[in-house]
Amino acid sequence: MSHAEAHLDKLPPEPEKATLEGRNKVLGFWLFLGGETVLFGTLFATFLALRGSVLDGPTGTELFDLKLVAAATFILLTSSLTSVFAVQAMHHKNVKNLMIWLGVTVLLGFGFLVLEIYEFYHYVHEGHGFTTSAFSSSFYALVGFHGAHVALGVLWIGLLIIQLKVKGLNTTTAPKVYVASLYWHFIDVVWVFIFTIVYLMGKVG
Amino acid sequence: MEANQEQVQDRVKRGTIHEGPKNHIIAFVISIFLTLLAFMAVANTALDATFIKIFIVILAIFQAVIQLAFWMHMKDRGHFFQILFLATGTFVAITAFIMAIYWVWW
Repeated sequence: MSHAEAHLDKLPPEPEKATLEGRNKVLGFWLFLGGETVLFGTLFATFLALRGSVLDGPTGTELFDLKLVAAATFILLTSSLTSVFAVQAMHHKNVKNLMIWLGVTVLLGFGFLVLEIYEFYHYVHEGHGFTTSAFSSSFYALVGFHGAHVALGVLWIGLLIIQLKVKGLNTTTAPKVYVASLYWHFIDVVWVFIFTIVYLMGKVG
Repeated sequence: MEANQEQVQDRVKRGTIHEGPKNHIIAFVISIFLTLLAFMAVANTALDATFIKIFIVILAIFQAVIQLAFWMHMKDRGHFFQILFLATGTFVAITAFIMAIYWVWW
């Protein structure tokens, strides 16, 4: 048995909850997620209030392509499942699978970002700029803020993979993986409301 | 045998045994199903617009609850503060929603 394997054998069953610092990190992160709920809640409320104010700009019904939205939804939903698999691999102390599943999550997150950048580029060409109308400003603020969260998540989980490679899985790195997966799930939950309230409702009128 | 001992220890400490992927895959299938249902409701032009809006929002809330419970482990024991934090955030968010609706439609 190699040194690394012997070390993994001594890790407790749920290494993210093994130390007080780890448990505090997870709890503190939930407080942050409570704050994020307020942030996105107010952005959603603003969008709901302003979504009818299109001035001379295009309306959501004219702009939105539901096929693209469906593809983005499927990608993000799948990436949420792969980050669950990453945490399960961590609980089985399988560092290789943990890194692979985190890698798949990062790739899917990157794919989502590419779709969103293409979408925004397309909209600007259709005359739907940030300052076109109250609808367009609140749209870009809400959906762009979510996209920024995805970009941060891709960067964060990417760096975590490197740290796992360098430092291995231990009671310091395990809470980081767990917290990152919570963040990623939260972003997926926010997207559920974005595709419902922004895109599907926009299509209905 | 070794794994079994570990599970027993785990049960003594936290009251749960480490779960397999089954629940998470069920949550994924339910999420996909709810998403498809929402897209299909919007594609169906025979339905009333107000009905569709209410229907898809209910589907979204349902999907969010499932993902929070299973993927973010909120259904597990020892998540009181997690629920309190998120509920507080949701309370403020709902206040903002009511403000937006009151401000615009009345």
